[in-house]
Amino acid sequence: MLNTASVNDVLPGAAQARRRLHPMTFVLLFLGAALFLQSAFVVHARPQDLITGAAGIADILHRSFPPDFAGLPDALWPALETIDMGIFGTAIALVFALPLALIAARNTTPAKPLYFLARGLIALARVVPDLVWALIFVTAVGLGPFPGALAIVIHSLGMMGRLFAETIEDIDMGPVEALTMTGASRLAVFSHGVIPTVMPSLLGITLYRLDENIRSSLILGFVGAGGIGFQLLTAMNLFQYRTVSMLLVLTFIIVVGAERISAALRQRIA
Amino acid sequence: MSQPLIEVSGLAMRYPTGRMALTDASLTVNAGELVVILGANGCGKSTLLRCVAGMLQPTAGRVTVAGSPISNLTGQRLADARMALGMVFQNANLVKRRSVIANVMAGTLGRHRNWKTALGLLPHSERPFAERCLDEVGLLGFADQRAGTLSGGQAQRCSVARALAQRPLALLADEPVAALDPEAAEGLMSLLKRLAHEDGLGILCVLHQPDLARRHADRILGMKDGRVLFDEKPSDVQEVAVSALYAKAPLETLPA
Repeated sequence: MLNTASVNDVLPGAAQARRRLHPMTFVLLFLGAALFLQSAFVVHARPQDLITGAAGIADILHRSFPPDFAGLPDALWPALETIDMGIFGTAIALVFALPLALIAARNTTPAKPLYFLARGLIALARVVPDLVWALIFVTAVGLGPFPGALAIVIHSLGMMGRLFAETIEDIDMGPVEALTMTGASRLAVFSHGVIPTVMPSLLGITLYRLDENIRSSLILGFVGAGGIGFQLLTAMNLFQYRTVSMLLVLTFIIVVGAERISAALRQRIA
Repeated sequence: MSQPLIEVSGLAMRYPTGRMALTDASLTVNAGELVVILGANGCGKSTLLRCVAGMLQPTAGRVTVAGSPISNLTGQRLADARMALGMVFQNANLVKRRSVIANVMAGTLGRHRNWKTALGLLPHSERPFAERCLDEVGLLGFADQRAGTLSGGQAQRCSVARALAQRPLALLADEPVAALDPEAAEGLMSLLKRLAHEDGLGILCVLHQPDLARRHADRILGMKDGRVLFDEKPSDVQEVAVSALYAKAPLETLPA
């Protein structure tokens, strides 16, 4: 009681503010509940089906155990394919994302029309999911890891281009102004005034993207773009659940490994 | 000796918003001379400096640097004309993640326009010269330290060294001591004075500290409402004239 009294003495508006918030809070809670209920209706949420399906899940888990490690040697090459799709895709995307971001950042763009063009390209690359890019490239260059790597290049170009451009837009323009005054060429002003400042952030973004890309290259295999994903799909179709579980263990190691290595490297940079 | 390095005549500047930042400003800066502009915020002194530097295009009037006009230039020709002018900013504007010597060497980029410097490489042939510039401002011992680790006064001296690496004829300084403590401010102004007197640079410096101006300037210009009100030796500048610059009321009572 004493505390409340003193708070109200110091902040006479505090008690009133709390009272004024109440109706709004109710409205928000009601809207939140309504939003959730409509989503449950639209997805045909039927918890009872999950309960009756539990037996099926248990059956699959039973048939998946123990993982069949005899097939491991055959899975190692696809595993390498998966990791390398991520590495190749990230590296090529990095090379193209940097100049694209300089054009797509409001403070460094050479001309307004180019800015809108670059922003448009980035949005297109980003908005189309990598799975769809993979489907397109599988059609174009055939099955295998290469279309997967291309899909990752395009999708990451969008993601990295946007984040790079935002990083560049946040920099202090002072050094850029100072270097412009020295009579340096436009390109030199970027490479000496902007790049050294943003490099650590850009590397951090790239390493984070590498981690994401290795994860998504797993999924790209499902549409025929090679790697572990393709092995998983094949094993599933053949009902070889013990091979599936072995592949999932391998996947787990790759994903967590990439995550750890990426996080450790990012820590070193920061 | 007293060849005019910077000549400004009848400079006017109207911003797109309609505000007249400069109405009719004229001044000269000679080689070997430190000229200080005093004036309240919004009197047009920063606009004047930016017009001289070619960062802004004046509405009317003429700016020449070492005899060649600088206004109405663009692109490559502006970059060439600017090389005669070193600029010192309010904040040192260093690339903090690079070493001190790298920041100074960046001042030479205008003389090294090639694919190597465009890719971010520094012109290493300029290192001895950059070291001389650093020595000039008393920072030679800090050459390989990151610029971000310098104190405010050191950072500002480093930015002077970068401007010197450009081999300018004149220096423009926009409130260079605004972020410095009194001792560092004193040191920086002494440095600018020495560069003018010993190396023959023409220096145009915007300040907010009348006492610093009195101690270090060869000439003081008082600016108000976009024009130059007085242009005198520090010993001739009257106290009332200085305080009138910062007064809100109109100036009819000011003795000419």
